[in-house]
Amino acid sequence: MDRRGFIATLAALAVSPAALAAPRGTRGLIIHDSPKPVAALDIRDGEGKPAGLETLKGRAVLLNLWASWCMPCVAEMPALDRLKTSVAAKGIEVVALSLDRGGKLTVVNTYARLGIKSLDIRTDEARSAAEKLDAPALPVTLLIDREGREVARYVGAAEWEGPEAASLLDALAMGRRLTADMAPPQAKLTGPAP
Amino acid sequence: MRMWKRLALVVLTLLIGLHGAARAADGELTGRFLLVDTEGRTVTDEAYRGKIRLVVFGYTYCPDICPTILNTLSVVLDHLGQDRTKVATMFISVDPARDTPLHLKDYLAAFPGIIGLTGSEEQVAAAARNFKARYVRNPAEDGDPAHYSVDHTASIYIMDREGNFLARMPHASFPDRVAERVRSYLYPRKQEE
Repeated sequence: MDRRGFIATLAALAVSPAALAAPRGTRGLIIHDSPKPVAALDIRDGEGKPAGLETLKGRAVLLNLWASWCMPCVAEMPALDRLKTSVAAKGIEVVALSLDRGGKLTVVNTYARLGIKSLDIRTDEARSAAEKLDAPALPVTLLIDREGREVARYVGAAEWEGPEAASLLDALAMGRRLTADMAPPQAKLTGPAP
Repeated sequence: MRMWKRLALVVLTLLIGLHGAARAADGELTGRFLLVDTEGRTVTDEAYRGKIRLVVFGYTYCPDICPTILNTLSVVLDHLGQDRTKVATMFISVDPARDTPLHLKDYLAAFPGIIGLTGSEEQVAAAARNFKARYVRNPAEDGDPAHYSVDHTASIYIMDREGNFLARMPHASFPDRVAERVRSYLYPRKQEE
């Protein structure tokens, strides 16, 4: 990641020492002007073996960053679980990367609680994915093309099973240009406040 | 209407920020507090005497997107290694109504080593005032009074072993930089050599 650029952005945001966090900042689909390389991550599977994006060469990837303590992330998981199966034929992999410090155990427990069937266990071994992928908030889903480049990202939980997402994922799989009209709406999350 | 409200908030933030900067220069940021920990015990900053403190303000309710600040602080502690025992890392809730001690305890189980603090509305307001931190409660877009959000100062505060202000770093600081800064306070002589 371009650390200097990131710091410059932060400096611009920090208009005053007392700048308030902007929890209602950018949401939804952000299509990059040009594809970006994805920083190397130490992703492990349920057995602790390396399972990085390099093992998915030639396939497009939805890389979802989540954590068990993030309510909208957890709410989005069942839809991503179903999506994994439905987009496999298009040549798209859905990877849910847990940033939990509890590692595999936390993922196993959360998957069991949610009844997750298809998503694989993927953990951030070096605990640096949020930093390397420039993700100050969760959930965030990177749309990675077949050449392994980030072409867009979705900030927040998305409606992954609607018509917009279908056209977005088709375009991603085919290597076509993504357009704003393909942006899935933000998922409406239901459930009680914690 | 909402646009105007947001604009007004931005302007207000800017003004507060300018005043805050001026007052911080007066050395008024004391970092004193009297709050309640996750066991329901009343604690003051005196309880952490002898430790460098890392302090952030926030709240656990995030229906939309959740900041990764506590993740960042956990990585800072990893970077500190053995030195983490010389540091007290605190998360002060600006949402005491929802962040009860028990709820904070559950939530912070995901972040070992981070101390959760909450309290009455007055206690939290007083702590924020002493840190010159600000928070503003916003009604929810869905109109449900239980779903309000809270905009808040997102800096990482670093306080010395007596609780005096040392530095304020941006919330999205790189963990290694924060750890480096903490070490510079833990070992000032080493830095000078």
